[in-house]
Amino acid sequence: MWSYFARRFLLAIPTLLFSTLIVFLVVQKAPGGPVEAAIMASQMGGGQGEAGGGAVDMANNGVSQASIDAIKKYYDLDKPIHVRFYRWGKKILRLDFGVSSNFGKPVWDMLKGRFKISISLGLLGFFLSYMICIPLGIFKAIKHNGYFDFGSSVLVFAGYSIPGWAFGMLALMYFASPDYGYEWFPLNGIQSSPDVFKELSTWGKLMDYAHHAILPVGAYMLGSFARLTILTKNSLMENLGQDYVRTAFAKGLPERRVIVVHAMRNSLIPLATGLGHIFSLVLAGSYLIESVFQIEGMGMLGFKAIINKDINIVMGILVISTALSLFGNIVQDVLYCIFDPRIRFK
Amino acid sequence: MGRKGKRRDVQQKKRDKRLRQREAGKAKAAAEQERAASQRAKAVSGRQSSVGAEVLAIAAESSATEPVAKAKKELNIPEYKPSEKSLLKVRDLHTRFRTEAGLANAVCGVSFDVYEGEVLGIVGESGSGKSVTSLSIMRLIPNPPGEIHKGSILFQGKELLDLGWEDMRRIRGKEIAMIFQEPMTALNPVYTVGFQIMEILEHHENLSKPEAFQRGVKLLEEVGIPDAERRMTDYPHQFSGGMRQRVVIAMALACDPSLLIADEPTTALDVTIQAQILELMLKVKAKRKDAAVMLITHDLAVVAETCERVIVMYGGKVQEMAPVSQLFKDPKHPYTLGLLSSLPKPVRGKKERKLKTIPGMVPNIHNFPKGCRFSTRCDVVEDRCHDNEPELHKLGDYHYVRCHLVEGDKIEV
Repeated sequence: MWSYFARRFLLAIPTLLFSTLIVFLVVQKAPGGPVEAAIMASQMGGGQGEAGGGAVDMANNGVSQASIDAIKKYYDLDKPIHVRFYRWGKKILRLDFGVSSNFGKPVWDMLKGRFKISISLGLLGFFLSYMICIPLGIFKAIKHNGYFDFGSSVLVFAGYSIPGWAFGMLALMYFASPDYGYEWFPLNGIQSSPDVFKELSTWGKLMDYAHHAILPVGAYMLGSFARLTILTKNSLMENLGQDYVRTAFAKGLPERRVIVVHAMRNSLIPLATGLGHIFSLVLAGSYLIESVFQIEGMGMLGFKAIINKDINIVMGILVISTALSLFGNIVQDVLYCIFDPRIRFK
Repeated sequence: MGRKGKRRDVQQKKRDKRLRQREAGKAKAAAEQERAASQRAKAVSGRQSSVGAEVLAIAAESSATEPVAKAKKELNIPEYKPSEKSLLKVRDLHTRFRTEAGLANAVCGVSFDVYEGEVLGIVGESGSGKSVTSLSIMRLIPNPPGEIHKGSILFQGKELLDLGWEDMRRIRGKEIAMIFQEPMTALNPVYTVGFQIMEILEHHENLSKPEAFQRGVKLLEEVGIPDAERRMTDYPHQFSGGMRQRVVIAMALACDPSLLIADEPTTALDVTIQAQILELMLKVKAKRKDAAVMLITHDLAVVAETCERVIVMYGGKVQEMAPVSQLFKDPKHPYTLGLLSSLPKPVRGKKERKLKTIPGMVPNIHNFPKGCRFSTRCDVVEDRCHDNEPELHKLGDYHYVRCHLVEGDKIEV
């Protein structure tokens, strides 16, 4: 079986290569880019950069051919596409994603800061939703058709029907602004302003983070909440009706053991399905929720980069999330093997 | 479907063959049959009584009275004499299920005893209430939708229906063990066989893990699983159907229960290993002389080979109850007669013969007839059968029949 996973890893390399090629071609062929951005900038700036610069090339909207060539050379745009892909690929291997054309900073440094925010929010949401949904699903399955089951189902489905960003806006209105409701939570950001944050103790920093994170994480979880709870409940109910559960009861095992050890273990198998995608999901963040809460995460960065034609950032994010989802798929296969001994890959 | 069909085919052929031999041998074969029967009895070893095989042989020949009398004399079938101590007393058991179509009375007023050391068979078609009866004894009826709403189940003098969950748990698996029909699904697919055997021992006997492991290996060896120590760490899907049923039996025998309930233990298995599995099941008696076995089946051949006493159920009620020899020799209830005549009895020379069946269908559980439950399919039905439900009549020491056409003392149960 380990040879299967070794093969999967080896196979991931050409897959990654091919998908980066597609990413590269799509982004390169798409209109817009550093040259256009520079032209725009020069128009906005009234062309003062050209003041001492000889012949003004009107065909290029007032940017001289020389400076266009310079920009092209800087971003490697003067080479044929396969050479560019080769050089870009070599740099990617060293985690060098180039320089952002908008911010002038190395892409990798910009991503690193955002990772922390997106990963912490994503993981927090992920663990919280599993920690709440699985016990809730178990309880609902045991009390099937009881009052608690009905009541929680109403809440869960209501949550499912509301998009996370809409919930986020409502939550901000009612819980973060004194005009509509209460000012319990901060209106935006993931931590207090750097000056304040610096002064806090470790515990204070943690509390500050938690205080900021509650609403966005709630909005993150909302969608997966219903899916997870109902999935847990249904698969547990299905397993409780299985013959081996009856056997376990007939053996005289305590009810708790039958449910937790025998039925629950089997119900985890479908729950493992979502685990592999977590990697890419956590990283990509959610643009809508990040923008509602004004959190500078990966989702925001990626979205802004696309709008601004910041090629290096777009490609960097796409490459990283492709690599992570490939990795996540393999992790998921490993998890399947752990949860279900019947599954053996060859 | 293919496998099932094939299995039924093989089963039929085996039965055909057995009956053909008997039919052919009629007069001269009494002695031979005795030998064959005792050989078969030996094959199903480890039990005290082996009247079953002989009885079936006699039943097959019941048309010719003289050889039967002769056979009976020569075989010297012992009179049925159970131990007087009753292990389990079921009285007026009612189990029903609340379904969307209304109340389904799966078991309505079943009373019987299981005596120490006996093998009791319960036969009947699907839906006759035999499985629900056994699950009721284990208190494993899922509630909701099911409930035992009336009756009493006395086990070793204890009222099981009054026991709390925890007390009942201590009896399950320890005093009363159960073997289920489907070995393919009865074991948890994600745990090793060893884990599933050991957890019984850990819970009921408070054994430590290494002790439980050693006992588990021994149990697997007892039920004939080769290389038991290594197999302890295998998962159920690594076993064949017959081997899994052996594991299930090993689990049932783990605590030497005083009552073993087997719900169609051989139905899902190949005919070739059915006999082995039955033999293993009766091992419980080799370990404990006073242990009783309740065998639920729809296979009369299995009953004849294994049981000492039979209960015939239909429509959630006991229709006839008799020692095996009596039941095959002298069945009284039309339903029992129907079941017996549904067994194939090919005659040499006559090739095409339809298998006899009981006409009609088992009545819908929501809509049992007002009078006798069997009145809709009975071929000797009378007017009173439609109006009044017959009582259970006592015919002999251990022979009871629920039919208007049978003369006997009515009994109150």
